[in-house]
Amino acid sequence: MNGVRQAALKRLTTWSARRHGRDALPMIVNRRRIYIIPTRFGIALALLLVAMLIAGLNYNSNLGLAFGFLMVSLALVAMHHCHRNLLNLSVDAIVEVDAFAGDHASFEILLRNEAGIDRCDLEIRMDLAEGRGAGGVFTALVSVAARGYQHGTVSVPVARRGVTRLERFELRTRYPFGWFRAWTYVQSPLTAFVAPRPGGERALPSASAALGTAAQSEIRGDEDFAGLRAYEAGVPLKHMAWKVLARGGEPAVRSYTGPAAEPEWLDWAMLHPLRDEARLSQLCRWVLLSESAQRTYGLRIPGTEIAPSRGAGHRSACLRALARYPS
Amino acid sequence: MSALPASGALTAAAERVTFDSLLWISACLALTLLVGIAALPIWVTLTVAASAGLRLFQAARGHDAPPRSIRLGLAVLAIGLLFLQFRTFNGLSAGTALLSLIAGLKILETRTRRDIYVITMIIYFLSLAALLEGESFWLFIYLIAVCWLTTSTLLRLTSSARNSDWRGSLRHAGRILAQALPLAVAFWLFFPRFGGPLWQMPDSGSNATSGLSDSMSPGDITNLAMSDEVAFRVRFKAGSDTPPPQERYWRGPVLHDFDGHAWRRTESAPVLTPGLRFQGPAYRYTVSLEPSQHNWIFVLDWPSRWDAERAYLTSDYMLMEPNPLSQPIDVAATSYSHVQAAQPLGPGMRRRDTRLPAGRNPRSLQLAQELRNAHPDDPGYIDAVLAMFHSEAFFYTLTPPRLAADPVDGFLFDTKRGFCGHYASAFATLMRAAGIPARVVTGYQGGTYNRFADYWILRQSDAHAWDEVWMEGRGWVRIDPTAAIAPERVEHGLNDIVTADAPQFSRWQQRTPWFADLRLRLDALRLLWRERILRFDQSSQERLLELLHIPEPDGQKVALVLAACLILGMTWLTWQVRRELKISPRDPLQRAYERLCRRLRSVGCERMPSEGPEAYAARVSHLRPDLGAPVMALCREYSTLRYGAGATVDAAAAGGAAAAAGASDAKRFSAAVRRFRPRGSRGSS
Repeated sequence: MNGVRQAALKRLTTWSARRHGRDALPMIVNRRRIYIIPTRFGIALALLLVAMLIAGLNYNSNLGLAFGFLMVSLALVAMHHCHRNLLNLSVDAIVEVDAFAGDHASFEILLRNEAGIDRCDLEIRMDLAEGRGAGGVFTALVSVAARGYQHGTVSVPVARRGVTRLERFELRTRYPFGWFRAWTYVQSPLTAFVAPRPGGERALPSASAALGTAAQSEIRGDEDFAGLRAYEAGVPLKHMAWKVLARGGEPAVRSYTGPAAEPEWLDWAMLHPLRDEARLSQLCRWVLLSESAQRTYGLRIPGTEIAPSRGAGHRSACLRALARYPS
Repeated sequence: MSALPASGALTAAAERVTFDSLLWISACLALTLLVGIAALPIWVTLTVAASAGLRLFQAARGHDAPPRSIRLGLAVLAIGLLFLQFRTFNGLSAGTALLSLIAGLKILETRTRRDIYVITMIIYFLSLAALLEGESFWLFIYLIAVCWLTTSTLLRLTSSARNSDWRGSLRHAGRILAQALPLAVAFWLFFPRFGGPLWQMPDSGSNATSGLSDSMSPGDITNLAMSDEVAFRVRFKAGSDTPPPQERYWRGPVLHDFDGHAWRRTESAPVLTPGLRFQGPAYRYTVSLEPSQHNWIFVLDWPSRWDAERAYLTSDYMLMEPNPLSQPIDVAATSYSHVQAAQPLGPGMRRRDTRLPAGRNPRSLQLAQELRNAHPDDPGYIDAVLAMFHSEAFFYTLTPPRLAADPVDGFLFDTKRGFCGHYASAFATLMRAAGIPARVVTGYQGGTYNRFADYWILRQSDAHAWDEVWMEGRGWVRIDPTAAIAPERVEHGLNDIVTADAPQFSRWQQRTPWFADLRLRLDALRLLWRERILRFDQSSQERLLELLHIPEPDGQKVALVLAACLILGMTWLTWQVRRELKISPRDPLQRAYERLCRRLRSVGCERMPSEGPEAYAARVSHLRPDLGAPVMALCREYSTLRYGAGATVDAAAAGGAAAAAGASDAKRFSAAVRRFRPRGSRGSS
């Protein structure tokens, strides 16, 4: 029975995928892509209603029939409400997320509700049966108020480094009475770049080099004030020239000179004796260390070279390169 | 917003039922069981109450359901007990008791949402079962309310409603129920009805009979006379006469066998109607009988035709139904005020109706002998007996003294106070003692006319007993000895004459006309409910189709109309449900401004997308100096309302007083825009 169900669901998903093609996000859930079936409680209710109507007819009881028909109509209205709970909802997602192996990938789905009614109990479901992480279905339950938006985060455990790709996710609801289940597939791939788990004990290459040469002004670089320059987005707040701003001037940033400004190359080749995954773990840790130390760093692994830079975007690019290796 | 894997322990936690839902579902179940609590074995009620109480107590302390072994043992025990009591689970009362018990035990083991669903379904079915039995309007309304509450409980199982207040879930469930209403009405009106039951079910539990029974001892009818309960209602057909009071005798059980104390009816076989020649005016009417758990149907003396298919007439003119009346039924019948027998009385019948118990009521027999000697002819003898009742000091009273072993003797010679039963019994005894075949007929006499809806109400207090004697050449003739004592009883009904004996309350009613009117009006509504709703059937559907100007209505056309209604209903529903999905109207200020821009565009001054209100106004006044001042004023007001101090960007987002003030400002602005009607175009000016 379960096997039949699984097979039927699989056929439905492939058919639906063929039918709708790939969705561009943000996607508006239209009528044609909402599927609805009764739940097992709905089926039980249907049987009950048939029994109720037969009893009403048999006893020739007009009140019994009235009650039975009221329940039938209630079920029909509930079906409409269930269907409507998904209709015209706008779905968006963060299609690429970063994660570390052994941790969770948090897929964020943004639901926007333009209508004047609340959308209650929307279940975002991700089926990772074919994914590279731990298999299973992962869900998040959200409700979106009228004319509001809400985001749901589905945390998916990722065990191994690599790129986890989800071809589709499902939006499901059993609102209002749990007699029906309406759902829609969002055929838009979500990708989790699973970087290696940070590891290894080696210090940053520059630190070991600096220790080797001279013990002069190793970390003083940050303290060498070199003047003001114009503000640009992404600069750490502690470097802001607040006094200048307070005087009514243009936002400015204090700039420093020092050895830290020298680009640091995080090189695959430096970690010669280690095995591949260990090298990747070490590189990952270095990337995180360099970023938190405000260094400028570049990454060199076989097949990829990322020019020295810093900031969140750069860090993400480096981590994704590590996740993607060897491709 | 925690992410949960769909399987495993975490889901079970999410599916677990809260105390709130448990409380709600217990309340719903209690309200449902309240309807049938009288018919339920007391221990079932107690078991259900105890298990719900125990479960709630545990849930309040955060405990889970009791272990499985206890629950299972309890269930087996309880259901076994129930079977021992009823011997069957078939039929309405046993089924109801079983379902109630299962629901109670289910509450005890409620852990997850699934259990709640099972209980709601039992509640729905129990409500239906209650409606199969009862037919009152208030019961129906009450059960709809319970259904509403139950459905709200289902809504509260959803996570979003779980934390909201009960008013919200009630309101939302109520809206859904209201949307279901039109569809339900269409279903009900046009769903094909079958005449009889699809299959016979064992009869329902309540077998308490009411009204007249098939025996009468002195004092029986006195008890009935105190009851205001309605026995049946009668509506005379349009064009049919209403019989005069002295002919309004509604025939019930005919009693033949007298043991000196009580009159009884021994079952007489269904004999086909003996030949009767009907005379006098025909009365056509419909009797709407309340369930009495007896077989007889009360009809006017003397019935000739009736539309109850399985009913038959006995040899003594009782209209009988094969099964006891457990449901209210309507019977249309025709009666004639006078009949003439076509055949002489058979010897068996004569023997039966002249038999008296040996050695009982000796003084009466002696009196009969004396009178018979004086009046050897039957009519003379009958008149003499009636004259005796009339001339001697006999009294008609609702509270006659108790009578000893020979009640007829006691009544005729000692107390001389009696109710209709005493007179009928004494009269029949005297007739039989003289060899005249006589029998006692019980039934109802008179009735209250409801002038608000043109029908008659026959209450238990209208119960009456009279006699029929066989007169050679005429057949059975009705003689009411009570009429000899208290003719008003027959002319005006009981209440007028025994006022002094009646309880305080009915005396007060008598003196308070508006209260009597109110009761009549309420009764008229009850009859309307019964005729229009409870008795709605295939012919009503056909009449309905005639009203819709559909020619030659039949079952097939009813089904077609149902299909049409459903299509219409579903379309309406879709529209209704989707209507609320429409992108909500933006704030009125914005709409008013857009109207202003549309009006200006129609006169050739279109607003540039980049233009703010003030710049736009400046350009308009340049293009159309005649419009300059009003447009300038409107645009300035708009920007003040929109961007000035205290402006609300979104009226709905601002709370309370600020929103109200914003709304009134917007309304004023909107009205100003409506008044502004630019004419002409740039070219023509």
